[in-house]
Amino acid sequence: MSAVIVPGAIPTAATPRRRRRWNASLIVGLVMTGAFLVVAVLSLVWTPADPNQVAPRDRLLPFGSAGHLLGTDALGRDVASALMVGARTSIIVAAGAALLGLVLGTITGLIATSARPYVNETVMRGADILLSIPGVVFALVLAATIGAGVGSTIFALSVFFTPSFTRVVRAAALRVLEEDFVTAAQLYGRKRLFILARHVVPNIFSVMIVQFTLYFAVGILTEAGLSYLGVGVTRPDVSWGILLKEAQETVGVASPLAIWPGLAIVFAVLGLNILGDGLRDVLDPRLRGRKS
Amino acid sequence: MSTPIIEARGVGQTYKLARTKLFGRRERLAALSDVDFHAMPGEAVGLVGESGSGKSTLTRILVGQERPAAGVMAHNGRDVWRLDRAAHREFRRSVQVVLQNPRSSLDPRMRIGSSLVQPLRALRVETDPDARIREVLEQVGLGPDVLTKYPHEFSGGQLQRIAIARALMPHPKVVIADEPVSALDVSIQAQVLNLLKDLVAELGLTLVLIAHDLSVVAYTTSRVAVMSGGRIVETGRPAELFRNPTAPATQALVDSVLTVEDGLAGKALT
Amino acid sequence: MSELVLDVRDLVVRRDDLVAVRGVNLQVRAGQRVGVVGESGAGKSLTALAVMGLLQPGWRTEGQVLHDGVDLTKISDKAFSGRRGRTLSMVFQDPLSALNPTQRVGAQITGVLRRHTKVSREQARKAALDLLVQMRLPRPEQMLRAYPHELSGGQRQRIMIAIALACYPQLIIADEPTTALDVTVQKQVLRLLDGAVKERGSALLMITHDLPVIAAMCDHVLVMYGGRVVEEGPVGTVFRTPRHPYTKGLLESQPTLDNVELDGTNRLPSIPGSVPPLHAMPSGCAFRTRCGRADEQCATVPTLEGDGSRAACWHPEPVASTAGAR
Repeated sequence: MSAVIVPGAIPTAATPRRRRRWNASLIVGLVMTGAFLVVAVLSLVWTPADPNQVAPRDRLLPFGSAGHLLGTDALGRDVASALMVGARTSIIVAAGAALLGLVLGTITGLIATSARPYVNETVMRGADILLSIPGVVFALVLAATIGAGVGSTIFALSVFFTPSFTRVVRAAALRVLEEDFVTAAQLYGRKRLFILARHVVPNIFSVMIVQFTLYFAVGILTEAGLSYLGVGVTRPDVSWGILLKEAQETVGVASPLAIWPGLAIVFAVLGLNILGDGLRDVLDPRLRGRKS
Repeated sequence: MSTPIIEARGVGQTYKLARTKLFGRRERLAALSDVDFHAMPGEAVGLVGESGSGKSTLTRILVGQERPAAGVMAHNGRDVWRLDRAAHREFRRSVQVVLQNPRSSLDPRMRIGSSLVQPLRALRVETDPDARIREVLEQVGLGPDVLTKYPHEFSGGQLQRIAIARALMPHPKVVIADEPVSALDVSIQAQVLNLLKDLVAELGLTLVLIAHDLSVVAYTTSRVAVMSGGRIVETGRPAELFRNPTAPATQALVDSVLTVEDGLAGKALT
Repeated sequence: MSELVLDVRDLVVRRDDLVAVRGVNLQVRAGQRVGVVGESGAGKSLTALAVMGLLQPGWRTEGQVLHDGVDLTKISDKAFSGRRGRTLSMVFQDPLSALNPTQRVGAQITGVLRRHTKVSREQARKAALDLLVQMRLPRPEQMLRAYPHELSGGQRQRIMIAIALACYPQLIIADEPTTALDVTVQKQVLRLLDGAVKERGSALLMITHDLPVIAAMCDHVLVMYGGRVVEEGPVGTVFRTPRHPYTKGLLESQPTLDNVELDGTNRLPSIPGSVPPLHAMPSGCAFRTRCGRADEQCATVPTLEGDGSRAACWHPEPVASTAGAR
């Protein structure tokens, strides 16, 4: 094993970099994520049937039945409609929590770049504490106190997301704050808030976006898990996690019922992860050359 | 006019080192001791020294980024750390900085035009921004087409000109250039140094040039201060320092200069 | 005429349609010191990386790089790593990122030795110690156990040189070896490199933008601009009587004690404009957008012509001219 590590940045700075605007991951990710977003939006105006409509005579219809393209569940409820509304719920919960985490995490992360060490320590240790709370336990407690549902699931998720964003934003912000243009702004007498808002945030924006898509994916998975355990979303709200839970009882008899929500989750999470990767490649900070 | 426009008098600076013992007192490192440095209006002064000499610390004190632990940092005779807000802003307007790394000194997410306007806005300078931008671009030899572009579209030499242009925006009296050409290619160095010399001559600017390369300083300034170990060990005209260095630090700097002639003669590495 | 340790023929380095190196020919003989001088964007670093097989993914090569009986551009990665460190080695610009931060410095040296040669652990350790002594590093016994971050820049660079020399390579490629070092340390490091290379009989390929370094260390020089070699020849000839306007411009525009009137009255001539970006490189002679003598003929790529030294220019400096370093 050679002991010598190749230095990272080889292309030189005299040549303005042509950033690749598109790559395969970005396209695939956008298509997959787009598909699932479109389905979710569509569910606002149309679904084949009401996913909560119980029809005991039509229970456990198989795939391809008339009027129920993906079949029905043990209570006769249409699976396709449930999947569509489930997409909508997943987005509301996962994206909602990720967005909340982004906003709160960014604010706290930027606060933690202050010149006063005790401020930074307080915020970061607070983040550590929040991160050490197991999500499931917290959701359980919430479900027990304020009841399960979309709201409490979003809350539970954001308790985990926020400190993660805090760390990521703080690290990225610290790197930007070392740059000379920040020093220059300070020398012009710009106040800290201005520098954070006008110089730091635009330069860490790409990091924030990539993190958001990745936590969006995590949110979908976690929501599914929480709802499966009964402490997330509950009927009459429909989510993929609930479908999984309900399908558990019919595994031997009508296995496809468990497969559809599972596939939907895989598709959405994969799409978001691929999108996140693609975004990261495109938005990557420009490699720095040695001499100009 | 015999008052220096900027002056560091008896300046000292110390830093606390990281803790080595859990309950011990943190040791202090004396980065600067009893430093006197000044620049007269319209003068081009150089500051040289190897790394660890205290050059960077003194630079930070000269631009007002750091407060000295001892001594006074004065602008037009007044201590810059005791000024009221308006006077402080006046100091900041009058003393501008050009930093070493041109790629880092401009916000990559801001168009050049926007970056150039920042000093005017931040320092509340009452002047028509568009007219001033045009004036300044002409002074540094750039066209107005640069205004809508982003930093990554330019080479290092062009960026350094833009950085100089930005420094000129608020009509400064003093420009402090911290290693302005170290990160640039050789053929561009001459361009930027020539530009700095021209600005001193045409605008009556005071220039403080910090560098580690004696030849760069010799070309651009008329008086040089040599730093070593946190002190100024020698000052004088570049010609004197080269021919008759007295301080060992100066001698070391003179010795470290490599020239093509010496190389060709086989004398460079002896 | 000693044998060739490196024969680069018509090397092209490109990424998709971006061509950074446009047909470079370069030869290094056993024990010879060849310098490649150029600024950023000239393609000199990419040439070195192509020779060492260290190009980042996305970059492709055309042409041949002949060394030790094989074409380095055509062999597998595995075959290549058997050579790297043994028959050819590289000293990089930034020792902090080129050395493994998690491994002790002594281990990095013995690592190379034990990978390429059949020495025992004891012999490797002794050899590493000898190298440290040769590099004039203080307290060599303790230095073996140091980590890179505990050392100064100059010390780290000397370690890198020691690693590069350890297996007595035929060729050492040094890419801007002193650029990142403090100016007072530069000469020391160059001196050591010079002595060690001479003592081992290795050949040296020195890549830098710093003309005095080439003058001090090399006997033969190639000047690169826009991905091509625009002038080459013995260092004395090229630097004293440069024929290509770019070489002349480079020599005249460096503020060195040779050309600075110490009362600051003179003016350094500078080459107007700046190096064009890779994707906007002018066709024909790449330098013509900055050259005072360019005309329609320069729209065709000039070839290297001349004896003694060769320049690729339709209007080279007259041979009798003494313009140059003086």
